[in-house]
Amino acid sequence: MRYDSVTDIIGDTPLVRIDEAVHGLRHIDLYAKMELYNPFGSVKDRAAWNMVRHRLADAADRGDTVVELSSGNTAKALAVIAGMHGLAFRSVTNRMRIPEVKDLLLLLGAQIDELPGRSECLDPADTDDPLTRMYHTVSAAGGGYLHTDQYFNDLNVQAHLRGTGPEIIADLGGRAPDYFIACVGTAGSSTGVARALRRHDPNVTVVGLVAGKSDFIPGIRDIDEVHEVGLFDPQVYDTIEAVSSDEAIDGLLTLVRRCGTLAGPTGGGAYQGAVRYLRGVDAELTERRTAVFIVCDRVESYLSYLRERRPELFRQPARAHSVRTLTGDELAAARTVDVAGAREWIEQEQPLIVDLRSPFAYRALHLDGSVNIVDDLFEEMLRGGLPFSRRRPVLLVCPVGEKSARYAALLTRMGHPDARSLSGGVIAWRDAGAELVRD
Amino acid sequence: MAPSLQPRVDGDLRSILDSHDTLHRMVDTLGSPLNLVLPDRLAGNVRDFETTLRAYDLGGTVYFAHKANRSSALVRALATTGAGIDVASLGELQHALGAGLGPARIMATGPKSREFLWLAARTGVTVGADSVPELAELAGMVAAHGLPRVRVMARLSGFASTGTTVLSRASRFGVPVSDLDPLWAVLDEHRDQLDFHGAAYHLDTNGLPEKAAALEGCLEAMAEAQRRGLSPRAIDVGGGFGVNYLADSREWEAWTTELTGAVLGQRPPITWDGHGYGLRNEGGRLRGVLAVYPAYRAVAGPAYLDRLLATASTAHRRPLGSLVLDNLYDLHLEPGRALLDQCGAVLTRVEEVRDGLVRVAANSNDVALEAHGVLMDPILVPRGEPRPDDGPVGVHLAGNLCLEADLITRRRVPLPRPPRAGDLLVFANTAGYLMDFSAGSALMQPTARTVAAWRHGGDWRWCLDERYWPVTGREETG
Repeated sequence: MRYDSVTDIIGDTPLVRIDEAVHGLRHIDLYAKMELYNPFGSVKDRAAWNMVRHRLADAADRGDTVVELSSGNTAKALAVIAGMHGLAFRSVTNRMRIPEVKDLLLLLGAQIDELPGRSECLDPADTDDPLTRMYHTVSAAGGGYLHTDQYFNDLNVQAHLRGTGPEIIADLGGRAPDYFIACVGTAGSSTGVARALRRHDPNVTVVGLVAGKSDFIPGIRDIDEVHEVGLFDPQVYDTIEAVSSDEAIDGLLTLVRRCGTLAGPTGGGAYQGAVRYLRGVDAELTERRTAVFIVCDRVESYLSYLRERRPELFRQPARAHSVRTLTGDELAAARTVDVAGAREWIEQEQPLIVDLRSPFAYRALHLDGSVNIVDDLFEEMLRGGLPFSRRRPVLLVCPVGEKSARYAALLTRMGHPDARSLSGGVIAWRDAGAELVRD
Repeated sequence: MAPSLQPRVDGDLRSILDSHDTLHRMVDTLGSPLNLVLPDRLAGNVRDFETTLRAYDLGGTVYFAHKANRSSALVRALATTGAGIDVASLGELQHALGAGLGPARIMATGPKSREFLWLAARTGVTVGADSVPELAELAGMVAAHGLPRVRVMARLSGFASTGTTVLSRASRFGVPVSDLDPLWAVLDEHRDQLDFHGAAYHLDTNGLPEKAAALEGCLEAMAEAQRRGLSPRAIDVGGGFGVNYLADSREWEAWTTELTGAVLGQRPPITWDGHGYGLRNEGGRLRGVLAVYPAYRAVAGPAYLDRLLATASTAHRRPLGSLVLDNLYDLHLEPGRALLDQCGAVLTRVEEVRDGLVRVAANSNDVALEAHGVLMDPILVPRGEPRPDDGPVGVHLAGNLCLEADLITRRRVPLPRPPRAGDLLVFANTAGYLMDFSAGSALMQPTARTVAAWRHGGDWRWCLDERYWPVTGREETG
């Protein structure tokens, strides 16, 4: 397979059958439309490319910036495409909640503008939200922007009406599936595919999935937010159901662990929502039916999302030499020294002074002659054993003497004979009028 | 039936609002509207914030933002705690001094008259300055009148963010961090008059990323101050910690969904005249933004502070709370609304009921739910026994001004039974900004008196706000 441009790879994704042993539906063949196979990693590659392909040449001549309201896959695809054509890309968002996606967009050279939060002292007369203002700026003709406008742009729907939908029909041997289940974000893919399928067979049942309010699944809108979407038309869906982030993660785990499909949470939500809906249908069926859902993107970008919600999935082996494993007795036995005692001790024995605060704070003011090893790093170093000689006494300092006492206890447990903590910390040192320096 | 938004009411506030006879006696004696405050609860709220600070080993003072309520009882009760007070006018400063808060516990903020600035300097309170010219004026006044050196904090604004661009509403207040040279110059020139205590921000937002960027910006400014030989000691993170007004998140979610449906014409209106609270219907699409306070907040008050301090600095990859502590700074805060959570209620008497409209003896300036966009149901306190056939109703609430716009709330509110003249409608948890912030005497209607109530054994005792002192009626405790 040889291509002249990576954008030629967009689309023509595989349709893969999910094993009946996994979903347990007796009369339904369930297929996953593998949109994660697109070159930039998601279903949004189709819409992004379709919305800009005819406008890139003019935009490049004018030096326009591509701009979109997106916190995820559309931004990713547009950033790549803009970069390929020498254009800048700016993403405006109020929901940049996935750190990996944020970092990836920065890596791709995107500028990300995060919209302000809600006013705490409300001005009810101000109903012109920052988003609306931004919209006016980028939509003005000759303003230097190519605004793709994914929530209102019919080219978003067309990408799926001409691409995704017909591909599904072709892969099912010229038949539309009986059921099509999709998560609703911009409503572009669900609307486009639904129209294509119904042109072929008006009896297709279309299920739209939205997120529960106050819940968060990347790429899915909640039942109120969908009404803000220009492409959303309730008539497209036979039914709209809510899917929770918990269900989305359950679905993701099933796809990832049992189906060899490295799907993100949106794909997981679509799978789980599909199986939940179809289970009710399946019980009534006597003949075979087919159903298709969309796997929007890949799992790798959502590790911190998953870690936050299911920390038990990331269980780590217990770490050696950790302050978290100290017992109350060990802590109570930690040696401490007060400010007056410490000054004398420093004078007489020149202990190694380790300042556990951040380098930023250390730079500003510290005890003369101290070395700065921030606590996170110090803990990392101790995993390998004592990083200094047992013969050299050590004075540990932190802001109030709390962390330093823990590390003194840990060093003692590790066999250091004279590790002490400055009680009251640098604050007590300062308040006693002892000298602090900056280099 | 109107979808309900039941207020979150707990502890002492729940207990006194259940004492129907006491409430009726108060209104019979002092009229409607009547403000009720619970000074002891304020002390508990101060402790909750202090506990969060201590969990990060941070020193610092909780300054109550006086503007949120005018009550003397609350300020006098505050004087018994470890908290300070943030005053924003000459009157508030005099009030705080008179309530027993010493100058070391007072911070003067906001736009300042010459007289306010002078009394602040004369008494030796900390001045939170909004601008470089204000600092210059203060220094000039200190020099001219031979006043002692004044402790000052500088409010900063226009914070930059790293990585992404965190947008923020433009503010009229504060020195822009993009050019702090004039600040350093005025502090340097007036070393003998101005004692630089640290940097401050106060952002009108509930957006955590904006506040994190601001706190980080203050840390950078403090480091710059140290490089210039100043010894700043504290960062003031202002207020805006928020209150959760509702008992049940599901009611908030359901109500906002119903409003969306009503605006789109999918269901009958749930507001006066189909008011959309900022939402509008444009060709079947929802436009605009819901311009109300987020009445249900899962994270508010001390929990919000905790969330802020646990947020990692993008530049230093370390929690902001640890960075403040590492630098040996105190952390000051100025909560208003959050400190007054569960500290009071506004009592109103029903005057007339007709055609689904209930008129109370109070207006929308006395119960400022609409002005502040806070949506929650009143509590019906009946006089006498209900009739057996009385069932739940949805009603609109009108005020006592002859203005079409004088509605206590534009929501239609559910009540457990039809109210009758003489019943009370109680607006709970309104001590912060919703009680007397904008109260006036339009049409020469009476303004609310305020009573302070406190527990005495199993009973409630109460007195007029101006007669409350922390020792009043508690002689037996010494």
